[in-house]
Amino acid sequence: MTCERVFFTFEITEDSHLLPAYRKRGGYEALEKAIRGMQPAEVQAEVAASGMRGRGGAGFPTATKWSFLAKGAPVYYLCCNADEGEPGTFKDRWIFEHSPHLLVEGILLASYALGVRHSFIYIRGEFDLSYRRLMNALQEAREAGLIGQSILGSEFSCEIIVQQGAGAYVCGEESSMLSSIEGFKGYPRNKPPFPAVKGLYQAPTVINNVETLSTLPWILRNGGAAYAKIGSEKNTGTRLFGISGHVVRPGLYEQPTGYRLKDLIYQDAGGIAGGKALKAVIPGGSSTPILTAEEIENITLDIDSVAKAGSMLGSGGVIVIAEGTCMVRLLQVLTRFYAHESCGQCIPCREGTAWMDRIVKRILAGKGVAGDLERLEGITVGITGNTICALGAAASMPVASFLKKFKHEFAYFIEHGRSLNDGRLEVQL
Amino acid sequence: MSCLTDKFDELRKIYPEEIKSSMVLPLLQLTLKEKGHLTESDALFIADYLGVPAMQVKEAMTWYTMLYRAPVGRHVVKVCRSIACSLCGEERLIAHLIKKLGIEPGATTPDGRFTLLEVECLASCGTAPAMQVNDTYHEQLTEEKIDRILEELS
Amino acid sequence: MIEFTIDDKRIEAEPGETVLQAALRNGIEIPHFCYHPCLSIAGNCRICMVRVKGRPGFHPSCNMAATPGMEIENDCADVTAVRKSILEFATLNHPADCPLCDKAGECRLQDYNFKFNGSPSPSVEPKRHQSKFYQINSRIILDRERCILCSRCVRFTNEISGSGLLGIVERGSHSRVERLEQGGVEDAYSDNIVEICPVGALLSRDFLYKSRVWYLEPVASVCPRCSRGCSVNVWRRQKNWQLRALGKEKNLMAYRISARQNPEINGPWLCSKGFDLHKLINDAPRALTPMVQGVPCSLDDAIATVQHLILDTKKPAAVVSAWASNEELAVFKSAVSSWLTVYSGADQEPEVGEVVEDQLLIKADKNPNRYSVEALFGKNSFDAEAGHDLVLVWGDNIDYATLGSAKVIHLATLQPKAGRAADVLIPISTMFERTGSYTNFEGKVNRFEQVFEKPESVQHAVDVFGRL
Repeated sequence: MTCERVFFTFEITEDSHLLPAYRKRGGYEALEKAIRGMQPAEVQAEVAASGMRGRGGAGFPTATKWSFLAKGAPVYYLCCNADEGEPGTFKDRWIFEHSPHLLVEGILLASYALGVRHSFIYIRGEFDLSYRRLMNALQEAREAGLIGQSILGSEFSCEIIVQQGAGAYVCGEESSMLSSIEGFKGYPRNKPPFPAVKGLYQAPTVINNVETLSTLPWILRNGGAAYAKIGSEKNTGTRLFGISGHVVRPGLYEQPTGYRLKDLIYQDAGGIAGGKALKAVIPGGSSTPILTAEEIENITLDIDSVAKAGSMLGSGGVIVIAEGTCMVRLLQVLTRFYAHESCGQCIPCREGTAWMDRIVKRILAGKGVAGDLERLEGITVGITGNTICALGAAASMPVASFLKKFKHEFAYFIEHGRSLNDGRLEVQL
Repeated sequence: MSCLTDKFDELRKIYPEEIKSSMVLPLLQLTLKEKGHLTESDALFIADYLGVPAMQVKEAMTWYTMLYRAPVGRHVVKVCRSIACSLCGEERLIAHLIKKLGIEPGATTPDGRFTLLEVECLASCGTAPAMQVNDTYHEQLTEEKIDRILEELS
Repeated sequence: MIEFTIDDKRIEAEPGETVLQAALRNGIEIPHFCYHPCLSIAGNCRICMVRVKGRPGFHPSCNMAATPGMEIENDCADVTAVRKSILEFATLNHPADCPLCDKAGECRLQDYNFKFNGSPSPSVEPKRHQSKFYQINSRIILDRERCILCSRCVRFTNEISGSGLLGIVERGSHSRVERLEQGGVEDAYSDNIVEICPVGALLSRDFLYKSRVWYLEPVASVCPRCSRGCSVNVWRRQKNWQLRALGKEKNLMAYRISARQNPEINGPWLCSKGFDLHKLINDAPRALTPMVQGVPCSLDDAIATVQHLILDTKKPAAVVSAWASNEELAVFKSAVSSWLTVYSGADQEPEVGEVVEDQLLIKADKNPNRYSVEALFGKNSFDAEAGHDLVLVWGDNIDYATLGSAKVIHLATLQPKAGRAADVLIPISTMFERTGSYTNFEGKVNRFEQVFEKPESVQHAVDVFGRL
């Protein structure tokens, strides 16, 4: 089955991430076309025509987000969110390592469209090869006159500053990222004001994900309408789907939206490891509700289909869980994560994430008591919607959905003091 | 600390004065690279250099996981313990490392060679299980692979 | 004005006001920990959340601009359920210290728990322990177990006092309030954080365990320690809680000082010297006995000696205390000043090491009423060359040696300095033993109420003037 591809369009070699190779596959043609022949508003119109929705996890229509920018301000900022930290997600990393110029060109296109002179790339501090290849790409671009003053001889100037994170998942939340770029701990901010009105240093700011920005060169080169023809109607284009966990061929697969989830698992990823049966799938990164094997039967990988099934497409990071896995132990891997990553600013998340982790740990130690499951459910209700940022809800959804779909395992653990599945996390091959 | 100031000055060239506060985290990271770990004095030095409140820098210094505030070994072994790596054998590998290095996660070997840490998602889910030693990623790990990696480190 | 409703009640908000501000101004209670009218909006406690008709979920009212036609639900089951959740989280690790916590009786966590969360905690986890005695500075300690991390204290030191002393370090449930260990600027306003702390986490070492607040009552007064004249409350034991078993000292002392909200003069703030006013009240070495030439005598004898001195004098002078009240000065002017050369006195000078003047409250003039004294009697200080043979000294901290060879009649509240005795010493009342007013450096008049009865052997200055 072939369809248009945005990312997997070339063979990866030693040099394919460098500027010459990028140019050979049409690199910076879109930028040239935009700067020389299009008004910023026309660039925005192409993005609107493409139906592009953000690839960071929230799926917000990109052109709509851009249109929220306050008008007539003296300074605008664009921040590229490269803090890829959602467990199960590893797509932005591919872009950095194999085609970083896609992002550079995408940032320049967006900056041109939005009147941005300074853009930031907030890249997570752990990324090593990604960072080096990004810095190299920026230097190549600068030497080619593509970054800095008078780009391609035009009046458009743009600087790109790279900020490295220092180990905080919450800095992937847009306002937390802004706090971090401004030199503070990554505390998310109350909204209003929204970043489009008062963002980085109180200037109107747009924050976009790496994959979102990296799609812009294709859209501008081939036209928004062409992009809208790919994939699902309300959720257009292709996406870099990651699949990990108990599959034979975990990895990254570029497919159009609307691709069948079961095909991703059984065709692209080769099915369940060890020939086991499927137990559960987390469709869009660890913050999305878990689905049972039965529930994924008809799901297609677009935002609406997954939402209809009671979960979210999120960052497109599919996590596959085989039969025989202990869901109680698996949940504690998640509660431990969110408790560690909670920024600590607001009462419900700070106390609630730590509390949930303590309860699940206690159950795992064989010391679960009556009422523990009700307590956990009550905590998720107390957190969701009552926090400054979405991390609270992100921590609550796994707990709530695990309890809903696998209650019997938790009840068993509490009653008998041990796992129904020998505490297994790995597939027994 | 004068050699640090030279490095700070280099970085300053990139940041316009009105966004100099954005230099806080980069300067902390620079100092960390030089000194191995950070203390309140380092925060005060940076605050003074930039002209930002001392507490702002101190708070930032204590909030990010990668900014160590106690000495670490020559090689910091960071094993990912998030969901994909957990599903692919992280506990098996951490047990192996604990046995091999003779220390629990969070500790440093007596000879100062290794610090062992468990960290959260490294975005290597497709190549799990993974770990990072200092800056370098090591993926699709097995016990044997880990042994080879450790042997090659001084 | 912006018209909207809270629980169907029509409310008017000023342009730019938040729903919370408008509600509070109209006497509607919306619970809040982190919001403070003089500090930036933090929005971290989440207990001020309300329901907005037409929008899903709940939203913090502290960060919500009031818009026309908004319909807010505040006092309803849904919102109460959310507040109960927030309180469950806030008290998750909060120690059950109420029986020995200073804040009991004036604690928001207590009050809100009674109102919105009547149930015991649903948690079965042991409470986490932290330091109960973290030293903020020499005056204040922090009990970290009680702290709900509302960040009021941090914002105060950043935005109001400017010392930048405090911050919240570490992440998640490890977060804690910490001070700069090195390089911090001394904070002359630190006690305010004890007041604004909504729970019993920040504690005044001076007031620690001194009394239950419900045995006390505040009396409106004015701080005399500089010419700002901040409004204060002097807290004394309520009359019906004065028990014989406590003894006279404990029944009749000033227990603590708090800032009294005064938008004209000090807002809600007070400096550390103001917070220490009770030490001035309780511990000042009072002059209690009339004396002639250093020998105790009866009041009548002292007055008689004064009258002799006045008859004999050729060139009398008076030095008028800048701690005298407006009312006393008025009596002095009409009753006495006509036959004396009146000079202005400055009882108190800045001491070594104290803040002389700053941008917030503290003024260099360490006296409360110099404005009125100078308005009435001019700015001249005592002229030792003028040949005065008798000086009526009204006030404290005067060195008689500066008065030349004149005879001295001293109306004092404090025991005089060592050395030569005054010819006549008549002890007088302090401002806390009568009502009156001061005029501050800007000309603003501020009233103070009587806190205690004066000691029997001591006179009100105005009564003495009548007998001269």
